[in-house]
Amino acid sequence: MRFILAAALALAFIAAISAGAVKIDLLSMSEMERNILFDVRLPRVLLAGLVGAALALSGVLFQYVMKNPLADSFTTGVSASSAMGAVTAIMLGLMPYLPLFALAGGIAGLYLVYRIASYRGRIQPITMLLAGIVLSTFASATISFMKFLSDDAVSSIIFWLMGGFQAATPLKDLILFAVICVSFLSVRGDYLRLDILCFDDTTASSTGVDVNRLRKKLFFAAALLTSFSVGYAGIIGFVGLIIPHILRLGNLVKASYLLPASLAGGAAFMMATDLIARTILQGGQELPVGVITSSIGGVFFLYLLIKRRKELFYFN
Amino acid sequence: MIKKPEHGRNTAERAKFRLRVKLLLTGITLCLIAFPASSAWSYKRIAVLYPAVSPILIELGARDMIVGTTRSDHAVKNTVKVGSHLRPNIELLNALAPDLIIAGSQRAFPEEMKQRVKADIFYYNPVTLDEILVKIRKIGGMLGKRERAEKLILRLKKRLADIRPLPTEPTVIYEVMAEPLRVAGEKSIVTSIVRAAGGRNIVKIDRKHAVISTEKVLQLRPDFYIYQVGPMNKKPVPPGERPFYKSLKAKFIKVDELEFARPGINAFDAAVHLNRIFRGERP
Repeated sequence: MRFILAAALALAFIAAISAGAVKIDLLSMSEMERNILFDVRLPRVLLAGLVGAALALSGVLFQYVMKNPLADSFTTGVSASSAMGAVTAIMLGLMPYLPLFALAGGIAGLYLVYRIASYRGRIQPITMLLAGIVLSTFASATISFMKFLSDDAVSSIIFWLMGGFQAATPLKDLILFAVICVSFLSVRGDYLRLDILCFDDTTASSTGVDVNRLRKKLFFAAALLTSFSVGYAGIIGFVGLIIPHILRLGNLVKASYLLPASLAGGAAFMMATDLIARTILQGGQELPVGVITSSIGGVFFLYLLIKRRKELFYFN
Repeated sequence: MIKKPEHGRNTAERAKFRLRVKLLLTGITLCLIAFPASSAWSYKRIAVLYPAVSPILIELGARDMIVGTTRSDHAVKNTVKVGSHLRPNIELLNALAPDLIIAGSQRAFPEEMKQRVKADIFYYNPVTLDEILVKIRKIGGMLGKRERAEKLILRLKKRLADIRPLPTEPTVIYEVMAEPLRVAGEKSIVTSIVRAAGGRNIVKIDRKHAVISTEKVLQLRPDFYIYQVGPMNKKPVPPGERPFYKSLKAKFIKVDELEFARPGINAFDAAVHLNRIFRGERP
């Protein structure tokens, strides 16, 4: 599986670098082609990969926190609250500060969910999930209200929300890379604890795992990853859900395999979907990448539902 | 023997028919004399759902006929605001009892909305400067302001006479929105403005706006990269400061969205303005 993932990552990167709106001969490049490759395409491909890795990792972490395989940045409300921050920046005409607004929105949402879900210092996963859904609904309503107020700017909000990597720069790549490194390294030593966390809280606590502290750490790391991703690329759905699911289907269940594999799988998936988004139309036109990821995600979940229909029937 | 009386009857019927036609024609002529064209029926109460139209109505001397506008229409003060151009309030519209509603497009004011108002709908959706003139003429006719409409058309045509020829045809990309990058396509009024100013929009996409790759911009190598600033592109990062455009040798020009992107009277001034920019003059 590791080999397959590494090959998929390498293939996605090579394909993403080789193809695009402009045909580039990588072996003998003109000056313009070199500029396109290094100023536009490479930063974009890297940002796509990094956002994919960040979203997939945040999805896995949220699933550990909530003990729910359907949890991701959407169900926890972090995505929507980040988007709310970003849309506020668009409305106020503060585009250069958009990532900061998204980050602030994400952290505010995270704090709110955390406060609601914690009782006597302990996080309740179910309450957190419900609080996340409420926050998500509230943030979506606020975004709709801002769209209504924006009038002429409504299309700029809609297009931004659909997600994309057009504004990729090496600085953004570097910052997101640092965020991923910090988040990943902060949970890297907790592989065994994460596996134990899959049992009930009493069992996990009896083995010496500080369940509450671990959940807080995972939650903050995941929210940080989501906020930066939304700030740099808009709302891109389903990555945090389908990548961990696919990897679990490939028997990567243990945290020590699942977390690094999520990074690689998310990066490969997002580079490939971004490649589709920027090459599917003619004349240099692009589709929002969120449209592609959501379409693939929807089809994948439909497939899972149909495939598992029988098991679910007998289980009921 | 039998055919003769029939022939006689036919002649009498023909004569009767001729008399009827003559009477009808005389009636029509009398009507036209009694109600000359100048006092022909015209619209008196107008709701404007497309802000670019209001300055035209003002120029036609129809300011007092405007009973309602959208909230983003700042050309006309002290009228009832009936919501946005995409979501007008039907109750308010009906309360104003307009006899004419001017909307931007069928998409903005669809058939189901038409059925809910008791007014005629006129769609104002020109994509070239010539089409703007055609629409002005039509509006003038509908409001009984033909003469003023012709005068306005003449004035706008004269305005275009200020445009001077250029030694070469500069190529242009017009940024509608920075993030994600949306540019003006062939169906945008901007393409016509650029053409009138002596330039050429090099984005050959048969749409009003298109999301395109920044790679494509670098490949097209425009002489001028015009970026609008306004409601659709609020305070964008100047293109010259965007890292992915550092190799782009175009001249970056900032323009006002309301002047360039709205297909109204302003579009003619925008063409003259742009021509000056192409000539290297300070606008």
